[in-house]
Amino acid sequence: MAEIVLAYCSSHAPMMSSARMAAPEEQRNNFFAALDQLRDEAAARGVQVCVVLSNEHFTNFFLENFPQICIGVGERNWGPTEEWLPIEKVWIPGHPGLATHIAEHTLASGFDPAFSHQLELDHGIMTVYHELDPRMTLPLVPIVQNCAVPPLMPVRRAYEFGRAVGDAIRSYPGQTRVAVIGAGGLSHWIGTPRVGDIDEEFDRWFLGRLERGELEQVLDMPDSEIELAGNGSHEIRSWVAVAGAVEPVRAHTLAYEPIHPWITGMAVAHWETPR
Amino acid sequence: MSLYQLHRCVYDWVRVGEVGSAAGGGRAAFDTAGYQLTDEERAAFESQDVAAMYRLGLHPVLLNRYCRAAGYARDDYRKILEPFGVPQQRRGRWQR
Repeated sequence: MAEIVLAYCSSHAPMMSSARMAAPEEQRNNFFAALDQLRDEAAARGVQVCVVLSNEHFTNFFLENFPQICIGVGERNWGPTEEWLPIEKVWIPGHPGLATHIAEHTLASGFDPAFSHQLELDHGIMTVYHELDPRMTLPLVPIVQNCAVPPLMPVRRAYEFGRAVGDAIRSYPGQTRVAVIGAGGLSHWIGTPRVGDIDEEFDRWFLGRLERGELEQVLDMPDSEIELAGNGSHEIRSWVAVAGAVEPVRAHTLAYEPIHPWITGMAVAHWETPR
Repeated sequence: MSLYQLHRCVYDWVRVGEVGSAAGGGRAAFDTAGYQLTDEERAAFESQDVAAMYRLGLHPVLLNRYCRAAGYARDDYRKILEPFGVPQQRRGRWQR
């Protein structure tokens, strides 16, 4: 059966690509050193495919039809959408076998994910994927979550969906070595009077909960409370999904930097799964 | 009543200038005639009035994308929106 040989989450502020040098040098170095470490880990562990959970930014879906979850089951996906993002626009290989298995397994587990045979990938996935594989040839299964347009999937359900994704991967026939990655968060505000603010206290509290495996309070938070840490903080759904996929493994924070030029609490956390 | 129409209009305007969407003349040729906007919504869109679009309830993710596409730096649109900020009295469980 397939194995999850690498699991991590990273913030995905587009400025990490488009305004890389705007961040203070020490913060920038700490953040990217963590992603460099994980790229090396992926190579050392022989990762063959990555499953990346991130959130929808009105790139694939709009108000006529806005799924809570959409799994990219196609042979390839396009990205990045943004013309200003300095990442080469390419077709990225998918992994229809694994993606369809995840869709089938999560359907059988009580979830109702949408699926797409061709997704556009924006900075949400592309920034983090590009850091993992600058050549962008590693097969990618994108899973897009609604973290922005109410009503949102409750945080606890996002965690449970992640558990189902983890079970799906581990039940996929063959010897495939899989990385599970969450991309988004942590605290930030977008399109509001507080754009540019960062709630460092929230970010450190959240990372501490992940490290100690004390997720109950996180999973019970209503959206109105999460909103106090910024409307971008709903993206923690990708993080808790990864935590669910590899439970009971606990996270280890590799980097946390409140990078104001990137308007985001920028974190990287790793879950030590079996090699 | 036509808040959806405003969203659709702004979204289409943003998208027409993005990758693979340039067919049809791009943003310069964008025509709002097909959108059922109120006079206030049409005026806000046509005058690129970010404050008015925020006040009308444009989704913040879309507003952010609109601002970037329209050439507003983030610090600039923050200054425009700051008068609409409401001091938060509630506290999150992470706050000491």
